[in-house]
Amino acid sequence: MNTPSGQTVTPPESRAVNNVTLVEAVNMALAWEMEHDENVVLLGEDIATNGGVFRATVGLKERFGYRRVMDTPLAENLIAGTAIGMATQGLRPVAEFQFMGFIYAGMEQMISHAARMRNRTRGRLHCPLVYRAPFGGGIHAPEHHSESTEALFAHVPGLRVVIPSSPQRAYGLLLAAIRNPDPVVFLEPKRIYRAVTQSVADDGEALRLDTCFTLREGEDVTLISWGASILETLQAADKLAEQGVSAEVIDVATISPLDRETLLCSVAKTGRAVIVHEACRNGGVGAEVAASIAEAAFLDLQAPVVRVTGYDTIMPYYRNEQAYLPQVDDIVEAVEQVIAL
Amino acid sequence: MKNFKLPDLGEGLPEAEIVEWHVKVGDTVAVDQVLVSVETAKAIVEVPSPQAGIIARLFGEAGDIIHTGEPLLAYEGEGEDGGTVVGELKKAEPGAREERFFVGAAPSSRRARANRATPGVRALAERLGVSLEQIKGSGPGGLVTNDDVHKHASHQKQLGDSEPLRGTRRTMAKNMALSHAQVVPVSIYEDVDIEGWKKGTDITMRLVRAIASACETAPAMNCWFDGDNLSRRLLDEVHVGIAVDTPDGLFVPVLRDVNHRSLKDLRKGLENLREAVATRKIPPGEMQGATITLSNFGTMTGQYANPIVTPPQVAIVGAGRIRPKVVPYKGEAAIRRILPLSLTFDHRAATGGEASRFLGALVEALGKP
Repeated sequence: MNTPSGQTVTPPESRAVNNVTLVEAVNMALAWEMEHDENVVLLGEDIATNGGVFRATVGLKERFGYRRVMDTPLAENLIAGTAIGMATQGLRPVAEFQFMGFIYAGMEQMISHAARMRNRTRGRLHCPLVYRAPFGGGIHAPEHHSESTEALFAHVPGLRVVIPSSPQRAYGLLLAAIRNPDPVVFLEPKRIYRAVTQSVADDGEALRLDTCFTLREGEDVTLISWGASILETLQAADKLAEQGVSAEVIDVATISPLDRETLLCSVAKTGRAVIVHEACRNGGVGAEVAASIAEAAFLDLQAPVVRVTGYDTIMPYYRNEQAYLPQVDDIVEAVEQVIAL
Repeated sequence: MKNFKLPDLGEGLPEAEIVEWHVKVGDTVAVDQVLVSVETAKAIVEVPSPQAGIIARLFGEAGDIIHTGEPLLAYEGEGEDGGTVVGELKKAEPGAREERFFVGAAPSSRRARANRATPGVRALAERLGVSLEQIKGSGPGGLVTNDDVHKHASHQKQLGDSEPLRGTRRTMAKNMALSHAQVVPVSIYEDVDIEGWKKGTDITMRLVRAIASACETAPAMNCWFDGDNLSRRLLDEVHVGIAVDTPDGLFVPVLRDVNHRSLKDLRKGLENLREAVATRKIPPGEMQGATITLSNFGTMTGQYANPIVTPPQVAIVGAGRIRPKVVPYKGEAAIRRILPLSLTFDHRAATGGEASRFLGALVEALGKP
């Protein structure tokens, strides 16, 4: 069941599992939904016997059998397309792309077919499927394993793009994504796959899609982020609090369709917004957020909307990756800049 | 199993040859205990154990070449398999953390969004000492205008500040609006001839007992209804919420298990509840769990009413002021004491027939001397 807006979400005592990482929460959500819906099937490269390169699907083949947890050939176009066929015929496939850098071969299927199946068939067919992919940098991997190209998908009508930023939200949002009747691109920030543990209630309760989450209430400035950058954003908020600046932190979570209302409410209160994302700046989702605020909340603003992002270049290798990713001090500096006005 | 890989032996050499194992499978080893002697291109090196443990497996025998980074031996116990073919994932410190967050905007943000105004209007409001939070904007999209601020300021000058609701009154306002928004109310009315009652009859007690007996006739009225999930719970015990008016607002303490307690016990219970309400000492638990409610407004004035049903309850009985009335009695006009009754029920949870039978049973029980 969805949680009504404005309600604080805390894990109930019962069914709570301690020390759950984000990738384990993904595994828990998959297992819950497979247990309760026999139409849920998984497919992807090395996900069955190997349990996936990040171990997101570990143990699921043993539990649900190879007919429901399928290893595919190394062919992303096939993975994306097969999932569409399954979805239109009554299954609820969850397809894994090993890295976001490999997803592009599948985009023809995702954009030209999955996203518009309902529209093209005038509602006769639809695609209840989830495309999962780990994304983002900071794990000492090559450049095509480190990109954040979520904006490519956010631009496509008919695709929902959901990015969890904590184990609790990964669990609730993945359940919601699987239960959603239309295609969801579910991007998992792999830098924080194991960086944080939380207590997660394994109770099958989904969170709401298409809504932001307010992680921290504040008065002076709104920090807007998603994915792994949420970690640095929260740390920046801590640092700012020491300086007497009260920052509100919003996890956008569903970057398309964007929950503009929550962002506008917060900016109406604080009058200042700083957007933080790992992806490069040009045409990033931050630009859409900034434009939305400028259009609808201009009168509330005390300062220009500022973005803290990656650079408009190929993600650098290992040695320079920290220089590319937004750091805590970058965020604090940006806030100091808008607070000064 | 947990693998121990051949470490870089400090000489930047890519491989080493096993000369001699100093341990075998099943051995318990301590930290820094020598595991194996290997020969590199430069020297024979003894490799110490990085941890205490039991040896589960040896990879290779004397004479085998092991490359740096390849498994040398394995300890028993859980291995740390984080997956990944490329890259390294940062690991969390263990420890259960809880996270709290709002779905959507924080309440303070919602309030802020409700008061949109241009900078000029804000400045005007500040100058006139008017809080924008109290103004409903009349401009496009709810924007607060100059006129709105002026109007509010002159009102405020004439009337003073409005009084914000607190405590019980605030709760009442919220609960009533909530139930009004959810419940589909239907009301029916009936009169009871109580001419036969003995002098000094405790009216509230009669009403409470009659409600309990009517609930047995129509169990659908003594019920908790869940409109979100469309489910209901018929209840065996009857807990009657009794609306009590106080200067601070409406209180509804609960008289429990009405159908299984003696009249004397019930009366004492009710007196205790009234006392607790009057002195504002009633614990919140004593005002929860009612299965049906009685509003005995007849102690003041009024005949009939459409009282508000409070979910998850399904019904509320209103008792009006008892008065002598001219009514037909045994074919003649007679003056009799009449108790007017109102019953409001949630038509999502009960049928008109059930409500009508309930009211019939209530009238019958009250009509007895």
